[in-house]
Amino acid sequence: MPETSQHAQNPREGMMATLSKEQIGRVLAKQGILIAFAIFLVAFTIANPKFLSVDNVFSVVRSSAILGVMALGVTFVVISGNLDLSVGSMMSFSTIVVLDLHDTLGPLLAIPAMFAMTMALGALIGFLVGYLRLNSLIVTLGMLSAIHGLTLTYSGGQNMDIADKEGTWFGVFGQGSALGIPVPILIFALLAALLGLVLGKTPFGRKIYAVGGNGTAATFSGIRRARTVFSCYLISSACVATAGLMQASRSLGSQNTVGQGLELEVLAAVILGGASLMGGSGTIFKTVIGVLILGFIQNGLLLLGLQFYVQFVVTWVIIILAVWLDIAAKRGKLWSPIA
Amino acid sequence: MNIRTMLAASTAILLAGAASADTMKIGITQNNVGVDSYQTTYEKAFIAAADANADIEAVVLDAGGDVARQIAQMEDLIQQEVDAIIIWPTNGEAVIPAVRKAQKAGIPVVVTNSNIAEAGFDFIKSFSGPDNITQGARSAEIMCDKFKDMGIADEAQVVHITGQPGYTTAIERAKGFEDRLPEVCPNVTIVDTQPGDWNREKSQQVMEAFLVKYDDIDGVYAGDDNMGVGALNAAKAAGRDGIIFVGATNFAVGYEAMAAGDYWGSIYQSPVDDAEAALQTAVDILSGKDIPFLNYFDTPKITQDNMDEFTKPVF
Repeated sequence: MPETSQHAQNPREGMMATLSKEQIGRVLAKQGILIAFAIFLVAFTIANPKFLSVDNVFSVVRSSAILGVMALGVTFVVISGNLDLSVGSMMSFSTIVVLDLHDTLGPLLAIPAMFAMTMALGALIGFLVGYLRLNSLIVTLGMLSAIHGLTLTYSGGQNMDIADKEGTWFGVFGQGSALGIPVPILIFALLAALLGLVLGKTPFGRKIYAVGGNGTAATFSGIRRARTVFSCYLISSACVATAGLMQASRSLGSQNTVGQGLELEVLAAVILGGASLMGGSGTIFKTVIGVLILGFIQNGLLLLGLQFYVQFVVTWVIIILAVWLDIAAKRGKLWSPIA
Repeated sequence: MNIRTMLAASTAILLAGAASADTMKIGITQNNVGVDSYQTTYEKAFIAAADANADIEAVVLDAGGDVARQIAQMEDLIQQEVDAIIIWPTNGEAVIPAVRKAQKAGIPVVVTNSNIAEAGFDFIKSFSGPDNITQGARSAEIMCDKFKDMGIADEAQVVHITGQPGYTTAIERAKGFEDRLPEVCPNVTIVDTQPGDWNREKSQQVMEAFLVKYDDIDGVYAGDDNMGVGALNAAKAAGRDGIIFVGATNFAVGYEAMAAGDYWGSIYQSPVDDAEAALQTAVDILSGKDIPFLNYFDTPKITQDNMDEFTKPVF
């Protein structure tokens, strides 16, 4: 280990001769995760040149877009100092509901109806966590299985498929493309830009950081914490509904379990991006990087053709490496034992 | 026929007579009804078959995928002194002690759909379900026959998308396919194998990566149609035509894709047959009939050529 750390430190020492030490430090501290991301991209591309081909990049970002949209919403919840473990089964719910309503109400009504139902679930969670001040882990862990049950009850356990797959325009959100860019990527990018502005540039965004960073101080500053937390869950559920729409549109049919397990992947992406589980820190931009890292790791390992049992392990190793690089950049040193 | 078998036979007839005098009480504890269409349809078919037979009183339970609950349900059924228990194991290992308890209480146990681990074989009367190794082998034959028709049996390249790693069904189908393909089509190569986790979306992502990695893919074998259709969606989106898709457990989506000419073939496995076979196996045991330990029901090949002979799956 000490050998590795010295090895990694040497190039940095060399660069510092030309630029001021402080400048480099500041850039590294801010963009550690971005640097880690760049390293992975280069490494995977050396292993398989097709990795950074336009087709592959588009297909990875498109696949990641669904997870990504969910992660945008969860970023709000996490920054406000709470958790949302219900997003996976909530996504299954919205996917199944919109597919079913597509055939009964028609796509134009199905979409707003599904958004209303999904956001009602988000409002319920927001109410329980914000106004009844119940622990968000317990509330959303419970909702994880409650919503799963709701989905199964709704569908009677059956797969949901759109009857007339050729004759509907509904596929546009998942399969279409505009200006040569797949629509899911556009949705992801637009939502990221919008929510990034809300979080970074508005008073509402600053309130979320305040509530998550120091709740008591936020209260003394006149911030209505319950309302802020409630809004975060509402935003999260709206993002989940969007993800469900993209998912349903992409395959025009779905299993009840389509979102199962995504809650942990979403959380991993958010944390990987550098948001603190304790709340008060994180940005939309870094969440996007976290999402892309996860997406590119998965794809890169497939292209490498590693045996899949090994992939679970390698994925973990890469994530740890990324987190370590990020933390090391913030602290300005690679080796920092608990003292 | 020697004296011992004659004795056994006459005892069986006596027992059968005694059993049919009053109703047979058959309990079933299922794996996880409602989690997928197959299991949902299975339960409906089981109840319908039990209702259709006036001599059967069925106790239908569901473990919800929870091993602990299934063990508790086994104990309940033993307490109720049912005549036979059918179990769809939530876990092939963990349920063995409960199965043993039933056997000790003199209640015959039939395992349905997915077998328990070999350590438990002494405690059960029969396994009723699909033969997944044969299914995998048949999928290999379907694919090979098609390659021969197309004249590419000497050069074709195949990718393989498996079910969830560690699942018996996934392992057995993969083994059946990978063992049989080189026997029937020795020059076809399987260039890559990755899991699709029984999940359409995951399978689509895996296929997208395959399409980037390999410029030439002639065939895709997926462990079930759900994943097969996911792979098909990926190929369609990438504009790659002419790939032969073969799956297993024919789903409605697979059947439709076959009808549309996009998907070549699959294995027809009906949850209705599965449920009825399990019930019949239990009834046969209680009636004293001789049944094989591995009591497979037939799962035939289905392709675009013969799909008219089959009704569209309900799941």
